[in-house]
Amino acid sequence: MTGRDGNLCSHCLLPIGIRPMQRTVNGEDCSFCCYGCCIAYQVKHGQSEEWEAAWLLIRLGVGAFLTMNIMLISLLLYAGTFSADPWLIPWIHLLLWLFATPALIILGEPYLREMWTAAAQGRVTSSALVVLGVTAAYAYSVFATVEGSEEVYFDTATMVLMLFTVGAYIEAAGRAKAARDLEPLLAAESESATTVDGGVEVRRPVRDIAPGMLVRVRPGERIPVDGVVVEGRSHADESVMTGESRQVVKSAGSTVIAGSMNLDGPLLLRSSGAGSATRWAQICRSVREALSRRSPIQRIADRLVGLSVPLVLLLGGLAVGYWAQTLPFDRALLIGLAVLVVACPCAVGLAAPLATSLGIGRLARCGCLVRDPGTLEALARTRLIAFDKTGTLTSGTSRLVGIATEGATTDLVLARAAGLERYSEHGLARAIIATAEAKGIAPDVAGDVQAVPGRGIKGQVGGEPVAAGNRAFMRDLGWPLPPLLAEKARSLEASGHSVISIGWGGRVHAVLAFDDTPHPEARATIEELRRLGLQVALLTGDLAPAARRIAAMVGIDDVQAELSPEAKQAALDEYRQRHEVVAMVGDGLNDGPVLADADVGIAVGSATDLARETAALVLPKDGLCMLPWVIVVSRAVRLTIVTNLAWAFGYNLIALTLAALGTLQPVLAAAVMASSSLLLVVNSLRLSRLPDPALPGIDRRAPGIEPADIRRNLGVPAMASPATEQR
Amino acid sequence: MTYYLVIFVAGFAGSFHCIGMCGGFACALGRDRGGAAATAGRHVLYNFGRLTTYCFLGAAAGALGEMLCTSRGLAVPVLNGPLDGAQRGLAIVAGLLMIAVALQFFGVLQRFQGATIGFGGSTLAMSLRNLLTSENRAAPVAFGVFNGFLPCPLVYAFAVQAASTASAVSGFLVMLAFGLGTFPAMLMMGGVGRLLAPIWRQRGVWVAGSFILLLGLITLGRGVLPFDTHLHALPQGSPG
Repeated sequence: MTGRDGNLCSHCLLPIGIRPMQRTVNGEDCSFCCYGCCIAYQVKHGQSEEWEAAWLLIRLGVGAFLTMNIMLISLLLYAGTFSADPWLIPWIHLLLWLFATPALIILGEPYLREMWTAAAQGRVTSSALVVLGVTAAYAYSVFATVEGSEEVYFDTATMVLMLFTVGAYIEAAGRAKAARDLEPLLAAESESATTVDGGVEVRRPVRDIAPGMLVRVRPGERIPVDGVVVEGRSHADESVMTGESRQVVKSAGSTVIAGSMNLDGPLLLRSSGAGSATRWAQICRSVREALSRRSPIQRIADRLVGLSVPLVLLLGGLAVGYWAQTLPFDRALLIGLAVLVVACPCAVGLAAPLATSLGIGRLARCGCLVRDPGTLEALARTRLIAFDKTGTLTSGTSRLVGIATEGATTDLVLARAAGLERYSEHGLARAIIATAEAKGIAPDVAGDVQAVPGRGIKGQVGGEPVAAGNRAFMRDLGWPLPPLLAEKARSLEASGHSVISIGWGGRVHAVLAFDDTPHPEARATIEELRRLGLQVALLTGDLAPAARRIAAMVGIDDVQAELSPEAKQAALDEYRQRHEVVAMVGDGLNDGPVLADADVGIAVGSATDLARETAALVLPKDGLCMLPWVIVVSRAVRLTIVTNLAWAFGYNLIALTLAALGTLQPVLAAAVMASSSLLLVVNSLRLSRLPDPALPGIDRRAPGIEPADIRRNLGVPAMASPATEQR
Repeated sequence: MTYYLVIFVAGFAGSFHCIGMCGGFACALGRDRGGAAATAGRHVLYNFGRLTTYCFLGAAAGALGEMLCTSRGLAVPVLNGPLDGAQRGLAIVAGLLMIAVALQFFGVLQRFQGATIGFGGSTLAMSLRNLLTSENRAAPVAFGVFNGFLPCPLVYAFAVQAASTASAVSGFLVMLAFGLGTFPAMLMMGGVGRLLAPIWRQRGVWVAGSFILLLGLITLGRGVLPFDTHLHALPQGSPG
């Protein structure tokens, strides 16, 4: 939750720039992306004994007090209350000066400091616009007071600062809502857990938990490590990790997943792995990384903001110069001030990061991980999705339905095959192991095992080379297929089964046939994707009959089978020429390079670690049915970014024109500016109201699993943890 | 002047309602270790901060009303004066809102109450506790300023009244009179603490409700009655 490593804001979890605001709150070092977040965080989290939190509020309160008094007195002046006693007016100006000076120091200090640090690095930021404008108005007013002239603008100077500060605060408070979804996911790095060591309970950071430690988890707390329940009985909500909003009963002997929520009973766990090696910690790292990256759109927007500041300064100067020819100097100065204030490009900088962080958080809450914000943008523009077959469209838990042997017993074939396939994560490998287990056959001990992508797996059993894989693999090895087995294999393949050959001693000894059934929700998912206007294709290394059988079952017409990884890449390139942006959904070792090559590589839950490294989006296990929802979310994010940018630029341009024409008062300009970024926040927050993914088999309206309840529960530990720690 | 006196009395009566919420703050602000004078100073500062916010809200509401009226009315000079349509509209809206707030005080329209009170007030109130315990001399002012912004139907009612005057200065004066009206009770709370029996608080709420209802009816009347039959000389842009 904190920006300890200096890349996310402690308050709104948006990436902070190169120049964060550093503060110490409750003894913790915090970094903030802007002044607004700094105030909002201290107001929300500051402990009463914390001097600084109170001091900040006091300053703002006193600043507001002075500003409001200045405004009131100025209003009375404008209304002509004192016109009967003109001798009073210089004294009132003096009083305004007296009020404005401390108000300016109190409210303007953060802006001045920001300008100063930026200037020290040779950059001009938007706070320079505010400081320059306000200082000009103040300096002129001081001059006018000393001179005894009619008009002073202390009210404008202070009110602009006040409105900027209040606007920044409200905006930051709104942005914190966007961070709510992310907090539980980022908590792995900051949360602590209670370990029990010889009857003594110790609070320690989750990352310090070692395998085998006893961990106590109270109701309402997050389960910090993967492990096994030793004692206690409770329900757990594993939605963050598995994407399924379902309460799972946990009692002695049950395994628990780190990051899931312990709902209603105390649990004592024995951790099965290190606290920093859980999937939760991994998610935490990947989400943090995704958030700290910038999308292409955002990079362009940032560059524009950087360019606009000097331009606006120039424009402000020109406006003063132009109007000074026809109007009194003070009027021209006010127009210049309005230009500087209204052109402050805060909203443009906010347009994309807020929407993407909401999108990333939204997806991550349902177990879908995104590599970077650019992924969401690419996914929104995707026109074609190519699927791998095994383990992606099919359940991946294929069943072994037939064994044909020659010169070996079925048991020997299974023992050797299982010995090799223990080292593979391929769907067919699991089927072999499961069959061997069911028959009570112990796998042979295999050594020197090596997986060959797109081909199979080979190794040594008892000093003899053993291999399992497709026919091409056997051909590569130069191992012949006896005619009887070859005939059997052909007929099995013709009926759409997956076939694996097992061989040793220089020849093939058996062929195994697998029945590969599509995921129950695959067909509905494909239909839904079509409804979203996407083309769907099947690219598989499997044989054509099997591919066609599955394709027909799930409703895909465009099938390319018997592709090597290189051929899959070539096929993707071909699609890319026609459809511009293509995504590839895959699983398993074979898909690594293809996923990396696609514009968006999507790996489904059971993806191997290699696939995860290369994929830009990882769906949870059995999460294929979430794909249409993910696309809806990514499109909504992109639409929000585009509307935000259009709004921010349009609004700024119109307001700037009005200000330069002299029709917008500076105070009004400041209000307009504050409301502009607020509107962006409100527009982006609409993303958090997107419906949850409709998962089959789970009735979301069932009692006890109201999404709102779960969300509320999720928010608890993240916010409560610092307090618990201090106890 | 009568008008502002009525507002002052309404503020005074209404302030017994304040004891429920803001009175708690005044109590919590407590005594200063520096003695009775310092304690009094603390409370005066607090109330002064509160008054500033009220006055600011009043002036802003009045200016808003002025903007609403002049943007449509000023172009047609005939409409100035008692027949100004926009101002009548504003008075009707303001009157209805005040009546709604008053009914809330009598326990009617409870659902409406949730809408007015739950507007982010709890977070603000929570964060203010930091200021209550601060030893800093300026803390009570800051606390008063923020306190003034706490969502409160009474303040809303009078802010709406201020808007209906369609003048920044009159709006300011309305809220000044109201704020000063709340001074005695709030200052007393700081001193006498919880001496006031709950029954009196309940009665205070009723009295406050009656005043707001009366004001609401008068304001509504200003909007709907065909001729200038006002209970008092309504100030238009000139103070008092």
